[in-house]
Amino acid sequence: MSPIYLLTLRQLSGRWRLLVMTVLAAMPVLITVLVLRYADAPSVVDFENLVLSTMLAGSIAPLVVLAIAAAAFGNEVEDRTLANLTLAPMPRWKIVLPKLLAAITLAAPFIAASALLTSHVAFLADARATLAVTVAAVVGVAMYAAVFVWLGLVSTQAIGIGLLYVVLWEGFFSGYVAGVRLLSIRYHAIALMHGLDPRRFASDDHLGLAVAIAIAILVVGGFFLLSVRRLRRMDVP
Amino acid sequence: MSGAPEPVIRVDGVSRWFGSVVAVSEVSFDVRPGITGLLGPNGAGKTSLLRMMTGLAATSSGTVTVFGEPVRDNPPLYGRLGVMSEHETVYGFMKGRDFVRMMGRLRGVSALEDAVDRAIDLVDLAAAQHRRMDTYSRGMRQRMRLAATLVHDPELLVLDEPLNGADPRQRVHFKRLLQQLAADGKTIVLSSHILEEVEELADTVLLIVNGKLAASGGFRAIRAALNQRPYHVRVVCDAPRRLAAAALGLPSVDAVHVDPDGAILVLSRNVLDLQIELPRLAQAGGIRLRRVEPLDDSLESVFGYLVER
Repeated sequence: MSPIYLLTLRQLSGRWRLLVMTVLAAMPVLITVLVLRYADAPSVVDFENLVLSTMLAGSIAPLVVLAIAAAAFGNEVEDRTLANLTLAPMPRWKIVLPKLLAAITLAAPFIAASALLTSHVAFLADARATLAVTVAAVVGVAMYAAVFVWLGLVSTQAIGIGLLYVVLWEGFFSGYVAGVRLLSIRYHAIALMHGLDPRRFASDDHLGLAVAIAIAILVVGGFFLLSVRRLRRMDVP
Repeated sequence: MSGAPEPVIRVDGVSRWFGSVVAVSEVSFDVRPGITGLLGPNGAGKTSLLRMMTGLAATSSGTVTVFGEPVRDNPPLYGRLGVMSEHETVYGFMKGRDFVRMMGRLRGVSALEDAVDRAIDLVDLAAAQHRRMDTYSRGMRQRMRLAATLVHDPELLVLDEPLNGADPRQRVHFKRLLQQLAADGKTIVLSSHILEEVEELADTVLLIVNGKLAASGGFRAIRAALNQRPYHVRVVCDAPRRLAAAALGLPSVDAVHVDPDGAILVLSRNVLDLQIELPRLAQAGGIRLRRVEPLDDSLESVFGYLVER
């Protein structure tokens, strides 16, 4: 296994970071249980909008991934150990890929567990709906991770910029401005969920499963290549 | 065909600026096998230059080639380089041996465990190799970082302020090791702001001042070049006009100016003689010197060293 992958896993699995991620990932499950216990059962559309789209895909997932992926390179830029890796005689993609995979490896279980438990509770153990939500959540993690790994390379303020992006772009504008939604990861993760279980989820995004998958590949691949390009051109501290 | 062999490093007309700040300005030199010292006060541009020489930073203009190839964005070349930066951060959670092993794996070392043993033995840290690095002293961290730099047996070593944090015993060990590596045919470039370190180790010295190559060559040549540089020296005494008039007759003094505040500004191209002649002159005239200070701040440390000698 790549030493960079193992190194990054170890660097990113600090106790506090894991604790915060656990708390964040537990929130959708907790809220779903509370809603079902104390309120009138919401419609599928309401539940999707409030919990799956706004909370899980638009807030919890990007925040958890931001905390991990932005640090994949960001920590090493900050403490100036990145040169240990960039002076290795290997193509730059062999440095970026294990970093990205490590970020996904760490973030995906939290978000996947959160999505799985939330949908399992909400949809009364409907296996297909649960699978659709979980797969979409993991794909969303991969897309966010690719973006935030790149962000950690281009800015030392990655966490701040990432928070603004999550709150303003994914949380606010993409919810109200139709054009912005097309450039929103949350929107494409939800479109994937619709495509995986059209029976359960009424879709109004007109994208379809194939387009959602293609866009996910484009986002992950595109930001991966941007990270490789950045690593080749940047001044390594 | 005869002639000098191709230099290991060729720096040709290199400049680097950050916004309006010029860190390195039109620097050119060659580095050949042996130990080359990059000497200059803090902030002179040594680290910027070393980073460009190792491909870690881009030049704003000019070129750097290593073993005849451009060093920037050239990963296959990096296997021939061993680079130790001035930053002392280590992966604290990692054991020393694991760190050296990881660096060896990243650099494609075959017979990895043997290479790790050899590198750790070279820096004399076998006894501490199974401890986490966050338990190491500063000097131990530096030595384990050097082991990681040496694990792939690089032909070229670039070391930025390598003696930082080392105690006297470690310094002696470190110097012997570098001299042994140079004797084995390695090319070593090391930077320091301490004249004495470079003088003891380096065959060739590159003196960097204010981002420019002020002098280069053997240490004696550098010393001679330094002595010929014009220095402004500010002198405060109890009889400025009398001392200024007398100082004009000294061979080491090129010009004298008396400031309105009573201080004397002396221009000299021979500070070694000046620091002997000026006190004698003052003593002979019964003048009390209150303060003698170089005004070329960027050269202060070098000047101070020369005066102390």
